[in-house]
Amino acid sequence: MSAKAAVVVFPGTNSEDETLQLLRDCGASADLVHWSRASDLARYDAYVLPGGFAYEDRVRAGAIPAHDPVMDYVIEGAQRGKLVMGICNGAQILLEAGLVPGTGPVRRPTAAFTHNAQRHFVCKHVYAKLAFEPSRSPITAALPPGALVPAWAAHGQGRLAAHDDELAAIRDGGHLAFVYAREDGSTESATPNGSALGCAGLVNREGNVLALMPHPERDGWNFNHLRRREGADVLAPSGGAALFASFAKALAR
Amino acid sequence: MSERAVAIGLKIPDNEAYTACAALRRLGVAVERVERSDVRFFDDGDDPGALRARIEADESIFNPNKHALVLLDEPAPRAGEVWIEELGARGPRCFVGWRLLDAAGQPVPRQDVVAAAERLLCNPAIETARFQQDHT
Repeated sequence: MSAKAAVVVFPGTNSEDETLQLLRDCGASADLVHWSRASDLARYDAYVLPGGFAYEDRVRAGAIPAHDPVMDYVIEGAQRGKLVMGICNGAQILLEAGLVPGTGPVRRPTAAFTHNAQRHFVCKHVYAKLAFEPSRSPITAALPPGALVPAWAAHGQGRLAAHDDELAAIRDGGHLAFVYAREDGSTESATPNGSALGCAGLVNREGNVLALMPHPERDGWNFNHLRRREGADVLAPSGGAALFASFAKALAR
Repeated sequence: MSERAVAIGLKIPDNEAYTACAALRRLGVAVERVERSDVRFFDDGDDPGALRARIEADESIFNPNKHALVLLDEPAPRAGEVWIEELGARGPRCFVGWRLLDAAGQPVPRQDVVAAAERLLCNPAIETARFQQDHT
């Protein structure tokens, strides 16, 4: 039987359908699994936490879902080497759960994606530039070095924040997966939200858990890809789908 | 002139406080009810009644249909309470107050408040927690 991913839905998640569809269009076998069916998660080989506002961001963005019974399965799976990818609110949850950067115990966060520097919601097309060798994470292994993944930053709380020693551990420990960039690949002052280290995404030490703030699935088919070719099949995966395709390849291995 | 801490909470059902309470119970914290408030600081001009009237007339922070206002005796958390402050936040000093109560409506012991902050209410990477005995 082929490996299968669960797209995890919390109350307040809002990007599950496009996340699921793009995974499938990139060749992955995947299902939606709602929080009320948490025990179903045990039989999946990978987990994707999509964007939204799980539990209305109560207490802090990601804090309540990080302690939901759903995350017992996600954390156990991550510790056993299963692939886990969180996008936007899913990324916030992974930080609150301590799975990324993973420098402390689980459910004892050492960093956060928190309020943007400008203190308001940002909706902007961005590029997430792969910041380490693709093979550092199985999820990015099929991307080219320095890949530019087009995506939409759509968040009020996407700024990486941590104490200085933790930021140094993130940088020096190879946890910085993606940085914000422009279309030409330049990164200086490219962050849309004041994120420390220019961070758009983090991985854990083992590389099997990726937290990415911008949404590649919102630039994932020709119909919503900013640089689509004239005459291209509008429903064909494109742009940000490259990351999902890399995830799908890792899942199939 | 004296600084007065005020707690502005909801008198209608507070879903966020209820969610926090349910999560804390699941995390093993002995708590029956949680109250949440925005804690702000004002110069009361040595006239608490005038301060109360001023706040209750300011619809940007107080809606009499849904908010309850408490003028605190001390500019510090009460028994059973932790104040959470965002590190590096700009603007006027402001905390989120979480007050934990037991089945009898009494404040829970300090160690339970500390546990609640450590397990859920405070992310030390971006926030600080103040408890009743702290005088920093």
